[in-house]
Amino acid sequence: MAGPESHSEGEFHPRGTVAVLVIFAVTLAVLWGSIYLILVSQGATMP
Amino acid sequence: MTAITSTTAVPAAPVARPATYALSATEKRLVGLNVLVAVLALFIGSLFGPLQALEHARVDLYPLLQPLLKSYYQGLTLHGVLNALVWTTFFITGFFTLTIPFALRRPLAAPKLNWAGFIVQTLGLLTAAVPILLNQASVLYTFYPPLQAHFTFYVGLTLVVVGSWIQGYGFYITFYRWRKDNPGVRSPLMALGSVITMVLWQIATLGVAVEILTQLLPWSLGLLKGVDPQLNRTYFWFTGHPLVYFWLLPAYVSWYTMLPKQVDGKLFSDALARFAFWLFLFLSVPLGFHHQYVDPGVPPMWKYIHAILTYAVAFPSMLTAFTVIASLEVGGRARGGKGLFGWIPALPWRTPSVNHQLLAGILFFLGGIGGIVNASYNVNLVVHNTAWVPGHFHLTVASAVTLSFMGIAYWMVPHITGRTLWAPKLAVIQGWVWFVGMLIFATAQHRVGLLGAPRRTPLGQAPYVPASWQPWTFLTAIGGVILFVGVILFVVIILVTVLRKPAHPSQVPAIPEAEALQDPQLTPAWLDRWAPWLVATVALILIAYGPQLIYQIANMSNTSPGFNNIW
Amino acid sequence: MTPSQTPQPSLQIDRYERGWMIAAIVLLATFALAVTVAGAAMGIQLPAPELRVNPQTVASEGPFAQPGVRELAPGRYEAYIMSQTWLFIPREIKIPKGSEITLYVTSKDVQHGFKLEGTNINMMVIPGQVSRLTFRAEKPGTYNFICHEYCGLGHAAMFGTLIVTE
Repeated sequence: MAGPESHSEGEFHPRGTVAVLVIFAVTLAVLWGSIYLILVSQGATMP
Repeated sequence: MTAITSTTAVPAAPVARPATYALSATEKRLVGLNVLVAVLALFIGSLFGPLQALEHARVDLYPLLQPLLKSYYQGLTLHGVLNALVWTTFFITGFFTLTIPFALRRPLAAPKLNWAGFIVQTLGLLTAAVPILLNQASVLYTFYPPLQAHFTFYVGLTLVVVGSWIQGYGFYITFYRWRKDNPGVRSPLMALGSVITMVLWQIATLGVAVEILTQLLPWSLGLLKGVDPQLNRTYFWFTGHPLVYFWLLPAYVSWYTMLPKQVDGKLFSDALARFAFWLFLFLSVPLGFHHQYVDPGVPPMWKYIHAILTYAVAFPSMLTAFTVIASLEVGGRARGGKGLFGWIPALPWRTPSVNHQLLAGILFFLGGIGGIVNASYNVNLVVHNTAWVPGHFHLTVASAVTLSFMGIAYWMVPHITGRTLWAPKLAVIQGWVWFVGMLIFATAQHRVGLLGAPRRTPLGQAPYVPASWQPWTFLTAIGGVILFVGVILFVVIILVTVLRKPAHPSQVPAIPEAEALQDPQLTPAWLDRWAPWLVATVALILIAYGPQLIYQIANMSNTSPGFNNIW
Repeated sequence: MTPSQTPQPSLQIDRYERGWMIAAIVLLATFALAVTVAGAAMGIQLPAPELRVNPQTVASEGPFAQPGVRELAPGRYEAYIMSQTWLFIPREIKIPKGSEITLYVTSKDVQHGFKLEGTNINMMVIPGQVSRLTFRAEKPGTYNFICHEYCGLGHAAMFGTLIVTE
C-alpha cells in the first residue's frame, strides 16, 4: 500500500494517520462485535 | 473532473485580512468571567465525584456531610448539573467570546448583548443553586418528571439557557456584520465552527425550553395538576443528545483550528473540516430517540430511524479523526518524526495544552467506540442505564471535552490575564493524572455495567450486589480519587497563574491559529453558505421528529402528579 | 464539463482521506445491518407502545390491580408487575425451566427501570405507560430484576427475583 508515490515533490501523504485509524477501526470492530455477541447470546425479547 | 491546482486563480479577498487582533479589555473581561464561573463549577461539582465513587466501594462519606448535604442524590445532582451543564456551557460561551472576535479580526458587534447574556446566565445559575443546595431539587441533571423540583430550579435552568442564547445572538450579529463587509471571502473556520455550535445549541434547546415552559414550570407552580412523563422524555432528549455536540464541537474548533499550529502542523483539509461542522448541524438533533430505545411510548420504527441517523452522525466524527490526526502528522513530520508512527513522539507532549488535547483524543477513541455501541438499536439492551453509560460519558464529556478545555485554559487564561502559566511541568503531569484516573474509572464502570450494575445507584447500599462486581466497584473508587487529585491540581494551577505578577507581554502566550494546507478560498462555496444547511437541518428535524411529536402532543395525558418529598 | 465564466473551486479530497471515509461508511453500514438482522431474524426487539394507563388509578383497576404471574397455557406465562417507590410487586416470580413469559410492567408513581440479569430484558418503566417484553427461561436459577432509574432515596434497594425451577 505504501509504495513510493510519483506525485510532485513536497506533497504530503498521511500514511501514519491511516495506520492509526486502521488500529482504531479494528479495535472498534472487535469491541463492538464482542458486545453484539453478548446481545445475541442473551436471546430474543419477542420470540 | 477539473482539478484545481495552486496555479488556478484564487478569488481575491477584497480587503487584506489583518495579521492579528488584540482582544479588547471588555472582551477579555467577558472571557475571564465566563471561564471563572466555569472553573468554580468544575471545582465544586468535582468535590462530589470521589464521594460517589467511594460509596460504590462501600466507603460512604456522605453521612459526615449531613449538615450540608442530605444524600448521595443531592451530591449526584450537584455533580451532574455543575460539571455536565455549568462547567461546559460557561466555558464554551467564554471560549467563543475569544474565538469569534479573534478569527474575524473585529470586536464584538454588540458587547452589551454579550454582557446581558452572561448576567442572565449567571443569575440563572444562582437561582437554580438555591433549591439544589436546600435539597429541594435532587432530581439529577435529567430532572425526569414526575420527580418534581422546586420551581426555582426550573426557572434557573431556563435563565441559564436563555442567557447562553443571548450571548449567542451577540456572536451571530458580529459574524453577520463580518459577512456583509467581506463578500466572497471564506469565513474563517474558527469563527464558522464557533457560530455553527451556537446555532446548533439554539435549535437543540428548544426541546427543553418547551418541556419547562409548557409542562414542568406550570406544574411545579401548581397551575397544572399533572404532566405526561413520556412526552417530557421526548422533549428532554430532543435537547439531550445535541447537548453532547454542543460540548464537543468547541473542542473540535480547537483541534481543527488551533492545535495544528501548536504542534507546528497545518490543518489538513479546510473543506472537510467545514463539511464536518455542517454535518453536525444537520444531524445532531434528529436522533434523540436513541436515548429512548427502551421507552415504552415510542414506536420501534422511529427508534430505528433515529438509530440510522445516529450512525450517520458518527461519520463527521470519524472524518474529524482523520483530518485532525493528519494535521498532527504534518506537525510531527515537520518536527523531525520519521516512519509510520515516529511523528507521534515528535509532537510537543511537554506543552501542557498540547499534551491535554492529545490525551483527550486518545480517550475519545474509546468513548467513541462505546458511543457506537449505545447507538446500536437493540445492542442498547445490553447496556441501557447500566454503569456502562456513566463510564461512556466520562470518556466523552469528562475526557474529550474536559481535558481539551483544560488544555485550552492553559494558554487562554494566561493570554487574557497577561500572565505566564504557573508550573507547566506540573500541568503536564496533571493531564496524565486525569488520563490514568479516567482509564481506571471508565474501564471499571464499563465492566461492572456489562455485569448488570445499574447507573445512578449507590451500590454500597444495594442488597443485590454480587461478589463479581466488587473488584470493579473498588477500581471505580480508585479511579474517582485519582481524578479528584487531577481536578484539584488543575484548579490550583489556574488559580496560582491568575494570582501571579503580570508578565512581560512578549512572554504571554498568543492565541494559536492554524493555517490550512490549502488556501480556504479554494474551498467550495457551498461549504460556506448558511441557507441550504439551515433549511436542510430544519427539514430533517421535521421529518425525523415531527410525526412523533405531533402524535405524542395530541395524545398528551397529564396524569402524573409531582413527587417532591422522596429524596 | 463546461467551465462557467468564474471558475468555482470543486471539493478536493485527499485519496487517503477518501479511503477512510469509505471505510467508515462501510463499517457503520455493517453495524446497521447486524442490528437489523438481530431485530428481524433473531427476535431481539425493543419495547413498543402497549397500553396507556392512568398512574393514579392503575393500582386499583385493570390488570395491575392484581399484579402477579398467570399461566396462560402449558409453558406459557404472563406477569403483571407494579413498580412503586421502592419495590416491585410481586417481588418474586417462579416459572419452570423452558417456559416463555411475557412481562408487563408499569409504575404508579415516578419513573423506574427494569433490567433482568442474564437476559436482554431491559425497559424503562414510565408512569402512564405499560412496558412489555417476552423471553424464554432456558436455564434454571435465580435471577434478579433491578430498578435502574433513579426513583428517590430508596432506589438502591429496589429489586425483585425471578426463579426458574427445574
